[in-house]
Amino acid sequence: MMYVVFIMSVLYVVGFIGFSSKPSPVYGGMSLVVSGGLGCGIVMSSGGSFLGLVVFLVYLGGMMVVFGYTIAMATEEYPETWGSNVVVLSAFLVGLLMEVFMVMWLFSGEHELVGFYFSGLEGLMVLGEGGFEYVREDYSGGASLYSYGFWFLAMAGWMLFVSIFIAIEVTRKRY
Amino acid sequence: MNPLALSLILTTLLAGTLITMMSSHWLTAWMGLEMNMLTMIPILMKTTNPRSTEAATKYFMTQAMASMMLMMALTINLMYSGQWSITKMTNPVASNMALMALMTKLGSAPFHFWVPEVTQGVELTPGMILLTWQKLAPLSLLYQMATYTNTNLIYLSGLLSILIGGWGGLNQTQLRKILAYSSISHMGWMLIILPFNPTLTLLNLTIYIMLTLSIFMILTNTFTTSMSSLTLMWNKTPAMTIMLMTTLLSLGGLPPLSGFMPKWLMIHELTKNNSIIMPLTMAIMALLNMYFYMRLIYYSSLTILPSTNNMKMTWRFTNTKHTMTLPTLITLSNMLLPLTPMISMLE
Repeated sequence: MMYVVFIMSVLYVVGFIGFSSKPSPVYGGMSLVVSGGLGCGIVMSSGGSFLGLVVFLVYLGGMMVVFGYTIAMATEEYPETWGSNVVVLSAFLVGLLMEVFMVMWLFSGEHELVGFYFSGLEGLMVLGEGGFEYVREDYSGGASLYSYGFWFLAMAGWMLFVSIFIAIEVTRKRY
Repeated sequence: MNPLALSLILTTLLAGTLITMMSSHWLTAWMGLEMNMLTMIPILMKTTNPRSTEAATKYFMTQAMASMMLMMALTINLMYSGQWSITKMTNPVASNMALMALMTKLGSAPFHFWVPEVTQGVELTPGMILLTWQKLAPLSLLYQMATYTNTNLIYLSGLLSILIGGWGGLNQTQLRKILAYSSISHMGWMLIILPFNPTLTLLNLTIYIMLTLSIFMILTNTFTTSMSSLTLMWNKTPAMTIMLMTTLLSLGGLPPLSGFMPKWLMIHELTKNNSIIMPLTMAIMALLNMYFYMRLIYYSSLTILPSTNNMKMTWRFTNTKHTMTLPTLITLSNMLLPLTPMISMLE
């Protein structure tokens, strides 16, 4: 089980390398979708089924959709992909090489790395399989945002409101 | 900017710092820092030239990276200790990473590269907010978590900040960059005394904010941003020129002005702890700062450069800028030294 989480996290990083090597945002968005899906998988395999689906809904289904529409409006005739420019390709390959080195390093020595002996999930996520609880932590966490954590919710809502103003101020015509 | 949007953004800037300063939970502290960063961006972009857009982008990039590192430090701390309190960050990986993130937010070496460029790219008023208000939140977090960090890292960063703040400001003619390097240097002083006596960090912060606010307000009132326009300031407001001279001397740490108070108390505290070479180095490097302040004083107050006769008699227009808090700030930044025993109220 831990093996699956490990593979998902490696591919998550590879997805990040895919868009940090700066192709056109069209391809970067696709890489971000792949990374988002794998991140959801990591969250779900640690027991947070609700929060993983929230990632899919809000992140991929809300923000990525808006992002996709905006880059479709701003796209160019020959978008830069990973194979079109030698700079982008070499950045991607360097990142991939670094990830391979890191995986090799993880499997090589006798370090006390929690969880990388594929034995169990203890200690990797606080929100793990903590036995038989009466309430699952991810559901109770989401619910407590509306009860005990009301001010967190208020601040989060306030910042979303203010960030609209900030985005409009930043993208105002500058002359 | 639209007054409604500006008041909303300034309120959120205030709220962000206050949330960070009042929090005992790392998540709310991080939340306040993010609020600060996001609402600072339109303030930095108030003018409409590409330079300020570039400055705001650089600010956002460095501060977002610092926030990411801070979040990683928080989660590592959570993983190893299971709690979110700021004062008990016992895992060294977490506390050192959080230290480096907060040092990036403050603009101390070796993470200081964004400070001169961002301060130079914006107008004087956003630069003033950047160098004074934005120091409050990270320093309040550092004050709480510094007991578990590696003090060698703090001393290294502090000494490097004083060196870079001194040497970097020597070749500058733009006043905003000079004030940015001055900020880097003062952050160095504040960091070094943090493991010894954190009260002196707060004292240094208070006096530094008063001094920097005074200088920025004097510069805003006379529309001077470079040393060449500084030479014409005697013509417009001779009183403010003299006040600039005394405030700059105070910023350099010259007795009997109030800027001497934190430096004196810090060197005293360091020597009480059997550390001789470090305060010696710090005091000598503060002379570099003093050199370029003296250069500013020389060109603004002590000499009048050759000019034509009609420049010596300007028509006095009414001043349209507010000078409301400036007399109080100037008095405070020059004459606080006799009140040194009152620092016991900061404890």
